[in-house]
Amino acid sequence: MLRPPEHPLRSLYFVNGWLDAALIGGLSIIVFVALRLFTSNHTTSWAIETASILSVFVNYPHFSATVYRLYQSPDNVRQFPVTSLGLPILLIGAVAASLWQPAWVAPYFVTLFLVWSPYHYSGQTIGITMLYARRSGFEVGRWQRLALTTFVFSTFIANFAYPRSGDPIMRYGVMIPIIHFPAWFGILMIAVMCAAAAALLYFVFAWSRTQARLLPAIVLLPAVTQLIWFLPGTQTAMFYEFIPLFHSLQYLYIAWAMQIGLRMSEQAGAGAHRSIAYESLRWLLRNCAGGIAMFIALPWLFFWVNLPMITTAGVVVAALNIHHFFVDGVIWKLRNTAATSPLMMNVADWSASRVPVTV
Amino acid sequence: MPIARTVAGLLFVLALLCCGPVLAQELPKPLSDPVTGREAFLAVVIVAMMFGGLVSFFLFGRVSEKTHVALALLSVLAGGFSLLVLFGSFLYENPVAAIFVLLLLIGMFKLMSLFESGRAGRKQSKE
Repeated sequence: MLRPPEHPLRSLYFVNGWLDAALIGGLSIIVFVALRLFTSNHTTSWAIETASILSVFVNYPHFSATVYRLYQSPDNVRQFPVTSLGLPILLIGAVAASLWQPAWVAPYFVTLFLVWSPYHYSGQTIGITMLYARRSGFEVGRWQRLALTTFVFSTFIANFAYPRSGDPIMRYGVMIPIIHFPAWFGILMIAVMCAAAAALLYFVFAWSRTQARLLPAIVLLPAVTQLIWFLPGTQTAMFYEFIPLFHSLQYLYIAWAMQIGLRMSEQAGAGAHRSIAYESLRWLLRNCAGGIAMFIALPWLFFWVNLPMITTAGVVVAALNIHHFFVDGVIWKLRNTAATSPLMMNVADWSASRVPVTV
Repeated sequence: MPIARTVAGLLFVLALLCCGPVLAQELPKPLSDPVTGREAFLAVVIVAMMFGGLVSFFLFGRVSEKTHVALALLSVLAGGFSLLVLFGSFLYENPVAAIFVLLLLIGMFKLMSLFESGRAGRKQSKE
């Protein structure tokens, strides 16, 4: 159960309603609608190139932000030694095995990442929903959480039950066969999803009636966004290429709020706006550089492997992603009290630096 | 009763004498066959899992329970991945088995989401 807010909030949003709604999912929904209406259902090189360029500024920094938060301090490494040190060793072993046996280890390593990835997206959807629920005062008890998680994870499973194509696909330089499920499985998952959605809406209406006000739409926005990403989104070839980008954008926004909240709480109120801009720019540049090092420089280190570069890069990318899934599971728990407080602040609090945060 | 035991013993010895040579002929000689890539991969995974266990053993009393749990989960991940490599073709060939494999993978992801979080330890302390 979420703890009640530790101090009265000035606003539900980190910056404002428009920006929060856009980055948490609104922008992705607008892009989806535009691509659905105005493009054919075939991936074009334009979509792939655009998504690749934007990756450098959004996707890669989102991975780097996670890594930076864990490894920036020896204390953090000591707090999570297996995640920080043990897991990379295991993943290096998995990369070595995949490059050693590219025919039948690499496809399963990439498959593991491709199945884990939407699971990770679902976890983020639940996390952000819980965050805004807490900020809005919507109490998420056992049954509300069950309805939310059932809805979110059923969209994830239904996404697998309805593949876009029946043919094997080339992902990250590795040929991946399509998983075929029985027809009834997809129908079952849609039924479960609808039942969970109905239960969730019941809790929302019950809360709204008790509180005599409507639940802020942003609380439900992450779940609606995930529904669009995973069902009509994956069926829309052009939009499919951009889903990781929007997931990363969501993540970066929350990670940025966390970073600024922590930094601003260490500084006095004077010149705080300039500090926010400076700290944001510094953080973004650092993460862009880190992302380029991880996703462009690191795969190049394997140039000597006698395999196509795209295959080598695909295996390394799979390892970086799996590492990210683990790291993301622990970084929000770094020194729990401090890790929660910045996420309950907003831009006004950062400027005034009124809320003391124990670091 | 002693007679019955003696008869049973004799029958067992006779059975061994009859079937023994046949069994001996059928015994495979795995070490004389060349190791396939898949067997070599399995061997590496087994070594990795043993290594994880040994690290946990040698760090007993020096690191927290949370770290031991995380090391155990690393072994689960290594074992789970090797099973996926061995039997993953079911995922693509048999639709019903695909459901089973997908649910197993989700279970493993859920388990890994508790990785080094200390939640397992908290649950234990509540009990």
